[in-house]
Amino acid sequence: MGNRLKDKVAVVTGAGRGIGRGIALLLAEEGAAVVINDLGANIDGSGQTASVADEVVNEIKAKGGRAVANGDSVSNFKAAENIINTAVKEFGRIDILVNNAGILRDRMVFNLSEEDWDSVIAVHLKGAFNCARHASVQMRQQKFGRIISMSSTSGLYGNTGQANYGAAKDGIAGLTRVISRDLGKYGITVNAIAPAAQTRMTASVPDKAREIRQQRGVALPGTLSGSVAPLRAEADDVAPFAVYLATDAAKDINGQTFMVRGGVVSLLNYPAPARTITKRGRWTAEEIVQLFPSTLGMDLVNPAPPKVE
Amino acid sequence: MSGMLDGKVAVVTGAGRGIGRGVALGLAAAGAKVVVNDFGVDLNGQAPTSGPAFDVVNEIKQAGGDAAVNSDSVSTWDGGANIINTAVKEFGRIDILVTCAGILRDRMVFNMSEDDFDSVLAVHLKGTFNCLRHAAPLMREQKFGRIITFTSGSGLFGNPGQANYGSAKAAISGLTKVAARDLGRYGVTVNGIAPVAATRMTMTDEFLKAREIRKQQGIVREERALAQLEDLKPEDVAPMVVFLASDHAAGVNGQFFLCAGGSISLVSLPRAVNTIYKPEGRWTLDELDDLVPLTLANGLANPAPPRQA
Repeated sequence: MGNRLKDKVAVVTGAGRGIGRGIALLLAEEGAAVVINDLGANIDGSGQTASVADEVVNEIKAKGGRAVANGDSVSNFKAAENIINTAVKEFGRIDILVNNAGILRDRMVFNLSEEDWDSVIAVHLKGAFNCARHASVQMRQQKFGRIISMSSTSGLYGNTGQANYGAAKDGIAGLTRVISRDLGKYGITVNAIAPAAQTRMTASVPDKAREIRQQRGVALPGTLSGSVAPLRAEADDVAPFAVYLATDAAKDINGQTFMVRGGVVSLLNYPAPARTITKRGRWTAEEIVQLFPSTLGMDLVNPAPPKVE
Repeated sequence: MSGMLDGKVAVVTGAGRGIGRGVALGLAAAGAKVVVNDFGVDLNGQAPTSGPAFDVVNEIKQAGGDAAVNSDSVSTWDGGANIINTAVKEFGRIDILVTCAGILRDRMVFNMSEDDFDSVLAVHLKGTFNCLRHAAPLMREQKFGRIITFTSGSGLFGNPGQANYGSAKAAISGLTKVAARDLGRYGVTVNGIAPVAATRMTMTDEFLKAREIRKQQGIVREERALAQLEDLKPEDVAPMVVFLASDHAAGVNGQFFLCAGGSISLVSLPRAVNTIYKPEGRWTLDELDDLVPLTLANGLANPAPPRQA
């Protein structure tokens, strides 16, 4: 039990299970009062059982910590305001927001329904915006805040069958980069984590999709035997770095994305021009055809080349 | 007529003005038949008039090309279906989809309304998905397709005041990466362009006012960079789109290109630039306190450091 976050107040969305639960427990261990938000939904967003949030609250209280449950949906602008207000009402302020709530509905893009798209974007991307938007008003006034949002390697690298989830998660990385610049001057930092861990969410990925991803070299370590060395990556492994970002020690880390998987923590680069061709005035398409293979297109690999008939 | 796209059928969304117009004209000049989609709205998404789309169709026809107008909104699922169906009905197929349609509603995140966030995401992100989703089954069946999406430096690098636009544009990059992997094996490529050009979207009153203020304050570096924006014509983006749509770019998939006047760059994909690894697994906060400043956070700059009180 540390005291790095003594007198701090945190909100963790999707904190009833998995990675969110691990972060909430560690925040509480470091002295933060925590709002445990969880709708208690199934992995596809259906159904609701508020009890998962209550269980985490009880666990924190049993260890002498402070916590309260909230069952609002992050995907609704008004309800998200209520999540943030719960922190203010119960504990007097909001210092730390962890955007972790998420659902999964994998389909190949040519089969993805409008509802599969909308619901995944609503929970991940709109949900992260909703909570950050309401928290930022308070954090700006108090000149202190920490916003930590879960992105994903699915968005950063592109996972087959996750057009909705990949878009939402890369969108969260964009949201993080923008609002780190909107809020930095007020003593607020905004960072993202792309976690990899075995949770009920990753367990729901079909074996076939895992096979395809492994063939393309994008399988998550620890999820398959064979060519990729199995690496232990538990949900609770994400918590220490997430909590570190919430502490005073991380006050100058802003606008970054980190990958966390077991004992591996990586800083990811910002997208940047890797190779450039320049001329005075407009290129013609014919000139690009001539130049491309030996310049911009050098060594480019098609991540999913056409099947040879 | 260069004929690089002879016999091909293209859809360009937001093709009434700016970059989309330039792309439509460029594709037509290369031999493609083009559906010119434009809802004809103001920059903030209000007051539809499809006038500009008709002007572009006339311009293409006068130059000896073939084009049809469509004025559906990309932001609805059925609108997206209609846009793609217009290509099939008028020209028998859909080979090329270029998604330029977009609106802008800049606010700092702590002042951004739900409507500002939703409407920008609806046009950019949902609009790109709606069109891509309806084109994908046809392209998959015919084993050929070219999808060129529009992302932005705002999402990739982070522009203050654009939580909505930056999220949408970064999410489009995630969608692009996943769709490239879902569709690549069917002979379909999906790539993104981050354009920089002087259009009604970038040359706004606010922008010109801010530039005037900076000029008066003598911020020379900024002034020099901004003066260049007027030299970056929206038509300059078209040649790269024509190239990506052509057979010459069959192996280019899941990539992003920054296009600014006569400068074209391949954008780097995310990668780990700095890593700490603990073979036993989970880090402790004590360990992170000691290690992170010397490793992951070493040399990181806060893009918006707190104001000195």
